[in-house]
Amino acid sequence: MAANFAVLQLSGCAGCEVSLLNATDWIGRRRLDYMPLVLSSEDLPEVDTLLVSGAVRTDEDLYRLRKAAGRAKEVVAVGTCAISGGVANLGDRDEVRALFFAEMERRHVPRILPKLRPVDAVVTPTLYLPGCPPTPELFMAALFEREGFQAGKTVCIECGRTKMRQRPATLQGFQQAVVDPEICLINQGYLCVGSSTRGGCRAPCTRAGHPCVGCRGPSDGFIARSSEEWFQAIQKVFARMTDIPPDDIARAVRSPQLALFVFQFADYAARPRDVGKVL
Amino acid sequence: MGTLTIPLSRIEGHAQVVIAFSGSTVLSAHFQATELRGFEFFVQGAPADQLPVIVPRICGVCSTAHHIAAVKALEHAYGVTPPERAVRIRELMMLGQLIQNQATSVFLFTMPDLPGATGLPSVFHFGAENADLAPKALQVRRAGTDLITGAGGQFIHPVRATVGGVTSGISREVAVALRAQLRDALPLAQELFERYWELFIGLKDRIGTLGDDEPTYYLASVEQGHAYYGDTIRVLAPDGHEDAVFPGCDYRLYLDEVPIETSYADGTLYKGQPMRANSLARLNMLPVLGTPIADEYMARFRAEWGYPAHAILLFDLARGIELVYCLERAIELLDDDLTSDPLRVAHAPRDGEGCGVVEAPRGPLIHHYVIEDGLVRRAKFVIPTQHNVFAIERALMVAARRYITEAGISPELERAVGRVVRAFDPCIACATH
Repeated sequence: MAANFAVLQLSGCAGCEVSLLNATDWIGRRRLDYMPLVLSSEDLPEVDTLLVSGAVRTDEDLYRLRKAAGRAKEVVAVGTCAISGGVANLGDRDEVRALFFAEMERRHVPRILPKLRPVDAVVTPTLYLPGCPPTPELFMAALFEREGFQAGKTVCIECGRTKMRQRPATLQGFQQAVVDPEICLINQGYLCVGSSTRGGCRAPCTRAGHPCVGCRGPSDGFIARSSEEWFQAIQKVFARMTDIPPDDIARAVRSPQLALFVFQFADYAARPRDVGKVL
Repeated sequence: MGTLTIPLSRIEGHAQVVIAFSGSTVLSAHFQATELRGFEFFVQGAPADQLPVIVPRICGVCSTAHHIAAVKALEHAYGVTPPERAVRIRELMMLGQLIQNQATSVFLFTMPDLPGATGLPSVFHFGAENADLAPKALQVRRAGTDLITGAGGQFIHPVRATVGGVTSGISREVAVALRAQLRDALPLAQELFERYWELFIGLKDRIGTLGDDEPTYYLASVEQGHAYYGDTIRVLAPDGHEDAVFPGCDYRLYLDEVPIETSYADGTLYKGQPMRANSLARLNMLPVLGTPIADEYMARFRAEWGYPAHAILLFDLARGIELVYCLERAIELLDDDLTSDPLRVAHAPRDGEGCGVVEAPRGPLIHHYVIEDGLVRRAKFVIPTQHNVFAIERALMVAARRYITEAGISPELERAVGRVVRAFDPCIACATH
């Protein structure tokens, strides 16, 4: 009998599940036994692989994760939210949390935990699938061919835009100017962090003309290091390629919205994560 | 007094139904959304120009709709009008969004409810003689996600819409490949939908009802030939006449948002009454859709169930008709020039207020931002699923009364609850955001 698997969705957006549905080659090769998005079943059975997406935001998330992990031979943390808390991490900023608890008091629904947690704060995954969302290829690799899987190095390498000598002096917002289709986005003054973001996505955003926001987390070299080191590496790239005031870059990469992606893995340097576990 | 808590599956996100009863009297039926991340709170203070990247993360199923609504809200605030060609590309993204969603809802979420005496757990459980169903359904769905990729950059959390237009066009080569893929998907979608329709009639004959069919208000932002790009919202009265037409930004004058004590999703009311959005609302507003094959289905649908049609399970068939329409419409639009300038107009960001509306799969989606010093001061997301919350609860009462009787609680109750909720295809990640 084929090894079975389950998909447990905690607090997230279902984008990881939607991506999994675009990887269809598992049908008939591994049995899907639990995935409430597409399958009605009473409860989670014993499974070989438990894919967990989303972050632990509510007491129900915590309970369901613990219960499910007890029935699984291995747990795989899938996507940004499961790995680092993802976008919902922004809810943990002090000023936001005050609003949050003041305005969203409800009865008979799961309680919002004071702090949002990634999956590995609760259970130990054997594998991480980075990305917001992970690509269908990563799901296939996780389900079938982990050994020898080669992740793309960086988004920058996969992007294919031409680096030029031109040195912009001001930082563009994400939405402010016309984008040249051929030239590196940093040369055009955009805050692109593709130079140190893990590859494997084939750079769809930068190719379409939008700067990389780092949704796949750090490349191998930065996984076990602190987020501060990653930020500094990005700043160095801009210092080398642009005349944008260093303070502008320092502030921009630390804006909570960009940092929510950039923080992946690296923010948890206190609890070292094994580079070899990241697909 | 007894209480039944019924978990839900084959919908997006975490929700449950709680039915309270005393003997054979049903006291209440509540639809509870049980997750919350708090986007309205945590985008406060974000640079406004980052919202088109942040807010798609409200939902991986509906990310395209949020992406475009965000860009439209910023354009409204900045006073920018994008060029026609950029709008065309955004419409193609929305059509991809609808193809993906309707194929998922029709074939993966609701089709398993139809066969036999009890239905099936999933589309992967149809027997050997229907083994082709799941792969074909996923292929149709894939045509939608690939259309989003081609038009929007990536199929979840797309990036190509930008204030003033789009960051780049769709090359002729990509457009030709997408057309070919959609042309292949169209007959497959028809074949699957025919099988769906037949099973649907089988279900109707078995259970003897199509659910709550009380005439109701309907809400949508569509007109003939549309591509789910929104702007003007219309309300249809229960008897079929147009009750209101308003620009999306005036939503507060027409829609009342009501917090619900036992759910993380608010509901909306129109004139104090429940209303319905989503596929049936749109079909009830359009005499014809404007593409040949979809209009054949429309004629069949109208002949069978009249106009306006009110029974809730008809939402499912309506989604199938829309799937065909979107495939046909996307094939038409991909024939346009999608590469030449102008794809974008220049703009200067400014502080102020802006609203963006799109017709998302589940109905009108409104993003409303207040911007100060380039940062988001306040953000409001009015979510299509919220428009349906009270309609869902009313339909749940109808089902509960049918299956909780003097004879006891019928095992059909739980299946009926699943069918009722799935008819509205609620999206909980969106509804709670």
